[in-house]
Amino acid sequence: MTGPRDLNAQIESLVNRLRRRQVVGSWCVSIETAMLLRQVVSATRWNQVETLIKVVKEDVGRRLVMAQPRELAVGNIVCRVLRLIREVYNSEDATFDDNSAEDNDKDSNTDDDEKDEEIKSKSSQKIRTFSFYGGSGTGTNTQSSMINLLGDGSPMGAKRASVDDYRKPPNLKPLIISELQEMINELENTYVNIIDQAMEHIHSNEIIMTVGKSRTVEMFLKTAAKKRKFSVLVAETFPTYLGHEMALSLSEAGIDTTVISDSAIFAVMSRVNKVIMGTHAVLANGGLISVSGAQMVATAAKHHSKPVVVCTGLYKLSPLYPYDEDSFNDLVAPDPVFSFNEGDLIDKVTLLNPYYDYVSPELVSLFITNTGGHPPSYLYRLINENYDPDDTDI
Amino acid sequence: MFSHLEITKGANTGLAPKEIHPAILVLGLQFSEFKICGANARCIAALTAFQKVIQDYKTPEGMGNAIRHLKWEISTIDIEMSDDEAKKLLCEKIDNFIRDSITVADRVIVEYGLQKIQDGDVILTYARSSVVQQLLLEAHTKGIKFKVIIIDSRPRLEGKKLLNCLVNAGINCTYAFLHAVGFAMRDVSKVFLGAHAFMSNGALYSRVGTAMVAMMAKEKNIPVIICCETYKFTDKVQLDSFVMNEQGNPNDIVNISTTLAPKPGLLSEWLNKPDLKLLNLLYDLTPSKYITTVITEVGMIPCTSVPVILREYKPMVQ
Repeated sequence: MTGPRDLNAQIESLVNRLRRRQVVGSWCVSIETAMLLRQVVSATRWNQVETLIKVVKEDVGRRLVMAQPRELAVGNIVCRVLRLIREVYNSEDATFDDNSAEDNDKDSNTDDDEKDEEIKSKSSQKIRTFSFYGGSGTGTNTQSSMINLLGDGSPMGAKRASVDDYRKPPNLKPLIISELQEMINELENTYVNIIDQAMEHIHSNEIIMTVGKSRTVEMFLKTAAKKRKFSVLVAETFPTYLGHEMALSLSEAGIDTTVISDSAIFAVMSRVNKVIMGTHAVLANGGLISVSGAQMVATAAKHHSKPVVVCTGLYKLSPLYPYDEDSFNDLVAPDPVFSFNEGDLIDKVTLLNPYYDYVSPELVSLFITNTGGHPPSYLYRLINENYDPDDTDI
Repeated sequence: MFSHLEITKGANTGLAPKEIHPAILVLGLQFSEFKICGANARCIAALTAFQKVIQDYKTPEGMGNAIRHLKWEISTIDIEMSDDEAKKLLCEKIDNFIRDSITVADRVIVEYGLQKIQDGDVILTYARSSVVQQLLLEAHTKGIKFKVIIIDSRPRLEGKKLLNCLVNAGINCTYAFLHAVGFAMRDVSKVFLGAHAFMSNGALYSRVGTAMVAMMAKEKNIPVIICCETYKFTDKVQLDSFVMNEQGNPNDIVNISTTLAPKPGLLSEWLNKPDLKLLNLLYDLTPSKYITTVITEVGMIPCTSVPVILREYKPMVQ
């Protein structure tokens, strides 16, 4: 189902910009995707929720993901929006049912009907105020599913499947759009929530190591520097030299910064107190897709028993699992490694220049996110709360 | 943190005392500008320079075991011997030392090392070690079919010379930088590394970045084989890379080009920024737990046997 012409134009524009890498950085990509999907929801004509889900997932979502498959943030936001739509629908459906006598729970017993609906109608009051990352939305689902378990032993998914029903409770669209707007606001405030935690983790006279250039880590360290005095060692991350930019920026904020070449990372690690780094994406098992060189730093830190802290917004958390590490990696142009000026050796030599690195979850001690600090073992809970398993095949 | 280490500033030969032989001045200048790289090359160059100096009868300066050996030779020269004879004898002894401890030792190491390279091996090496280079060339001459992955790092970029040499000999090579070592390590069957010195606690003192490569190999349970002549063994012990190290020219970090023409990058104004420092370490220490075996001219030993070898050979040096 196609929307009006200018909506199509907006979709095309984002697809093209993603493909040409004109939108760079997970945060920018996430915000643009979220705003576009809000437009899609408001501008598309839909009568049934199932249609809306199909539009978001297949027409728009899939195109965006295909435009730039390495940018996992796109898929994350699409999955989130789908989950949001389903949850709003489920909660509205519950109140809608209370008003009509129909039974919309396929598997429930007649004995438990009234009990179920009473509880659902009470709990659905809570849904209107649920925060996207919070617990009350899932709380309702688990509550109703536990009642189902007690009632007839049916499995948890009973509520989730109910979008197959072809009814539209009246005020779904404004609700979905307001939830989407809340999600966009939370995205825009991601950094604020993360840097508020800076003082807990950085203390005076610490030596912190970082690798590459991450906006989140930069803001994190600058916030801590306002009250604490510490030093930072930045690995220069050849060949992108992101470390140089990061060091310049940190030193301008008055932080005592030293730039080291990548080869000295192991040598200095014995004096470092902790490693703080950013990441490009976080995978479902807690592994990171990070700038090339991060795996070395994390392994060296593990060997010296130093904690590795990853600062990231939750929008980078992807429901994908790294069955094959290489599927998330890109080998980019080898020119910075060995340029064409060097002559005829080019033909006889294979050159490797991977852009990303996979860091396994055993090497990460803590994720500092906008919802607080979490160990890698907790991420599966966050994925359960924010994504649906049906959507991971976008 | 590193203030106890000296930075090698550019050498200014005009300030050198006039008694120093010009051959040594040239040597010092070449060292400070890293025109001569690698432990063996530096040692041979130093000893050759000393030969010239001895010819002109001036007192030489120190370089570890080789110099201790030389001093011992000098000290055992018969007082009755005439000056010319003594000089000739010393030069001969130096030649012998180079021959025995470096050239012949390298050949013996290569012989032992050949036992460790089989058909189908994928060998990873870091920067440029003269012994490893000889070993790989010899293995190729013998007809063993293997592939080499050369890992290089800034700012020295020594791996390029090794790459040139191996490619010209016809060996199938892959070249990558240190950041790709995790990616490159997946297919590797063995890692061969060179040494600058070997401490008595079994730790390897070598080009900065070696520890990283050894650690990544250990993570993947790939054997790490060090090729090292016994003259590099020392009875010093060192626990981390801080206690004793050298700093290179920090401006090498500013230059971001990988070719000969330097190109200054973002950090060119680093001297004007009070909070920004650059650190260019030259060496690092690889703990003994990452090393599988050491190939020396006296055999293949575990790295913990270094003090034993020193004890065995000490009478000869002393």
